[in-house]
Amino acid sequence: MTAYRSILLVVLGLAALPLAAPALVGAGIFAGANTLYNLMVFVLIIALAAQGWNLAGGYGGQFSFGHAAFFGTGAYAQAILQTRYGINPWAALVAAVALGALVGAVIGFLAFRARLRGSYFALVTLAFAEVFRILANAAPITGGAAGTLVPLDVRWANLQFASREAFYYLALAFVALVLLLNRLVERSRFGTYLVAVRENEDAARALGVDTLQVKLKAITLSAAITALAGALYTQKFLYVDANIAYGAWISIEALLAPIVGGIGTVFGPLVGALTLIGLGEAAKVAIHALFGSAIPGVDLVVYGVLLILVIAFAPRGVIGLLDRRAR
Amino acid sequence: MTATDGFSRRHLLATGAAGAMVLSAPGLVRAQAAPVKLGILQPVTGNLAQDGEYGRIGAEAAINEINQAGGIKSLGGARIEMVFGDARSNPEAGTQEVERMHAEGVAAVVGGFASPICLAASQAASRYDLPYVVDVGVSDQIVSRGLKNTFRFGPGFGTCTRVAIENLVKLNDAAGKPAKTVVLVHEDGLFGTGLAKLMNERLSALGFQILETIAHPTPARDMSNVALRIRALNPDLVIPSSYYGEFVLLARTMQQQRIRPKGIYAVLNGAASNFRFVKEFPDAALNVMDCNHWADPRKPKTAELRRQVEATGRFWLYNVPLNYSAVKLTADAIERAGSRDRVKIIEALAASTFSDHIMPYGPTKFENGQNMGAAPVNTQVQGGDIKVIFPDAFADAKPVFPVVG
Repeated sequence: MTAYRSILLVVLGLAALPLAAPALVGAGIFAGANTLYNLMVFVLIIALAAQGWNLAGGYGGQFSFGHAAFFGTGAYAQAILQTRYGINPWAALVAAVALGALVGAVIGFLAFRARLRGSYFALVTLAFAEVFRILANAAPITGGAAGTLVPLDVRWANLQFASREAFYYLALAFVALVLLLNRLVERSRFGTYLVAVRENEDAARALGVDTLQVKLKAITLSAAITALAGALYTQKFLYVDANIAYGAWISIEALLAPIVGGIGTVFGPLVGALTLIGLGEAAKVAIHALFGSAIPGVDLVVYGVLLILVIAFAPRGVIGLLDRRAR
Repeated sequence: MTATDGFSRRHLLATGAAGAMVLSAPGLVRAQAAPVKLGILQPVTGNLAQDGEYGRIGAEAAINEINQAGGIKSLGGARIEMVFGDARSNPEAGTQEVERMHAEGVAAVVGGFASPICLAASQAASRYDLPYVVDVGVSDQIVSRGLKNTFRFGPGFGTCTRVAIENLVKLNDAAGKPAKTVVLVHEDGLFGTGLAKLMNERLSALGFQILETIAHPTPARDMSNVALRIRALNPDLVIPSSYYGEFVLLARTMQQQRIRPKGIYAVLNGAASNFRFVKEFPDAALNVMDCNHWADPRKPKTAELRRQVEATGRFWLYNVPLNYSAVKLTADAIERAGSRDRVKIIEALAASTFSDHIMPYGPTKFENGQNMGAAPVNTQVQGGDIKVIFPDAFADAKPVFPVVG
C-alpha cells in the first residue's frame, strides 16, 4: 500500500493548500487568496496535460511533439458542444474526453501502423497538431479565427463556479484520479509491456508483446487525459481560439513538465508543472520586490536560467534529484 | 487638595487637547486622500511586446498628467497610482494579473490590447464587478457578452470594416472609378480572415472583381511568393491586412520587384500607419493607405503628446493616444462617481459623455459597453508623414489615388 500512500499524502497536501493561503498572502508572495487559486488551477491544468503526455512519452517512450492535437480537441469539443448544440457542460466534458481519445487512437493507428518511431513519430504528431490548428482557424464550426466564446453563466450545473476554490478542487480531483490511474498502470501487465516497448521495442515484440496494441492503448489513454485538460481550460477561461487550443505552447508545456519533473514517474508531471510555473511566478515576485515592476521580462530570463540549471544538474528531473538525496 | 484638583483639571484639559490633536492628525493626512489604484494591463513581453509597450506609454502619460493637475478632485485630490500588469501576450497571464490587481484593490482596469487577452481578462474582472476598459481589442465578442463591467472605447471589427469599405468606394468614385480588380492579402488570424471574408462579400456586391484572396501565416519570413502572385494577377488594388513584419516584407518586396498597383489600401494594418515603417522604409511606404485607429490631429493635445513621445526617441503609434484617452475616460468616471466603489464607477462609465480625449470620436456614449461614436480614420503616407485623408471633417491631406496613371 505504500505505493498508494504517497499519492494520498500528496493529494491531501494539495487539498490543504487553502489553509496555507493566508500565510502566503501575509508573506506578500500572493496579493490575495484568489490569485493563488487562479495560478494553481492553471498549474493543475498543465499538470493534467503533462500527465497525459507522460503516459505515452514517459512510460511508453513515444515522444510526441503534438499533444496540442488532443488538448485542442478537448478544448474545442467542450466549447462547441455547449454553445452550438446546447449540451450540458458536464456531459460535454465526458464527450470531449471521448473525442480526444478517438483522435489519439486515429493518429496513433496511422503513425504506429507506418512503424514511425523516435523523431519521425515526434514530427508526425507535430504536423497533425499544426494541421488541426490551421483547420480550426478556417472552419466555421470552430468560429474560425474569432474563436469560440462560452457564455459566462455561473452555476454548478454549468461547470462554472462562483468561488475560485471550487474549480481548484475539481481540477485537483482529476489530477488525483490520473495519479491513481498512473500508479495502477505502472503496476499492471500493460504498464510492464509499455516499459518493455520503451526500452527495446524489437526485443519486446520478440518476447510476444503485441507492440502495436500496447502503443495504441497508451496513446489513446494519453490523448483522453490531455483532452480532459483542454476541456478544463475551456471551462476556466471560457474562450478558445486556434492558437490557444492547437498552438505549439501546450505541446511544449505538456512535454517540458514531465522532463523537468521526472520522466516516466507518477509524480513527475505534477512536480514539473509546479516547478516550471512556480519558478516563473517566483521569479516575477522576486524581481517585483527587488526592482519594482520597472523591468518587464527579466523574470522570464531568470526563469530560463533556472530551467537550464534544473536540466543540467537534475537529468532525471526534480523527482530524480529528490530520490538521490533520499538515498 | 485644591491644588491637586486644579492640577488635575488643567492636566485633564491639556491631555484632552493633546489627545484631540493626535486623533485628528491622521484624519488630516487621510483628507489628503489615499491614492486611487488603477490597473494597467498590457502585453509587454512575448510577441505583442511592441504594442504593449506603447500602450503603457500612453497610459502612463495620462496618469502623470492627471496627477500633475491635482489628481481626482472629488476624492480630495487623490493621486492615481498605476498597478501595472504584464499580460505576456497570452490570456492566462492576463487573468492572473487581473486577479492580482483585484487583490491589490484597484478601482478599475484599462488595457489588454489583443482580443483573446481582453476577453479573458474582462471576464475575470466581471466576477469582482471590477470595471474593465478595453483599449484596442477589436473582436465584437468583447461587447456582446452582456458583461456589465466591460467597456470598449475604440471601434470594433464590424465598424472598422464598414467604414473601410465605405471610404474605399468614396475614394474610388471620386477618382473616376480607376480600380476594378482587387487582390486581398491577409494574415490567417482574427483580423485577416474575418476581414477577407467580409471584403469578399461586400466588394463583389459593389462591383469590384476579386481576383484572388491570398492568406499567409504570422509570422511569415518571406513574402516573395505573394508578391509574385500579385505581379501575375496585376490588380488595380491590393488590400493587405497583416501585422507589422509581414506587411513591411510585402511592401518592400513589391517595391523591389517594381510591382505598382494603383493603390495599396490596408485595413487595420500593423504597419501602414506606423511611423517606424515610414521612417525605416520611406520608399516602400510612400502612398500606402490605411483604415485604422488614429488620434485626432485637430486637437492641440495630440501634437503635444506626440512631441512628448517622440522626444524620448519613440515612434507615434496609435496605442499611445488610445490608451491615453482610455485612462482619461476612466479617471473622469472615477471623478464623477466621487467614490472608489466599483459599482458606482461602472455606473459612471455607462453614463459617460466624456469628450476630453484625443481620438476623433466626439463625446463617448456607451451602448452595451461599446462606445458608439468610435470610428477608424483613413490615413495615407505622404512625404514621409502619415496624413489623414478621411473623414473630410479633419482630413489634413487630399488622397493620392490612383498612384500610377
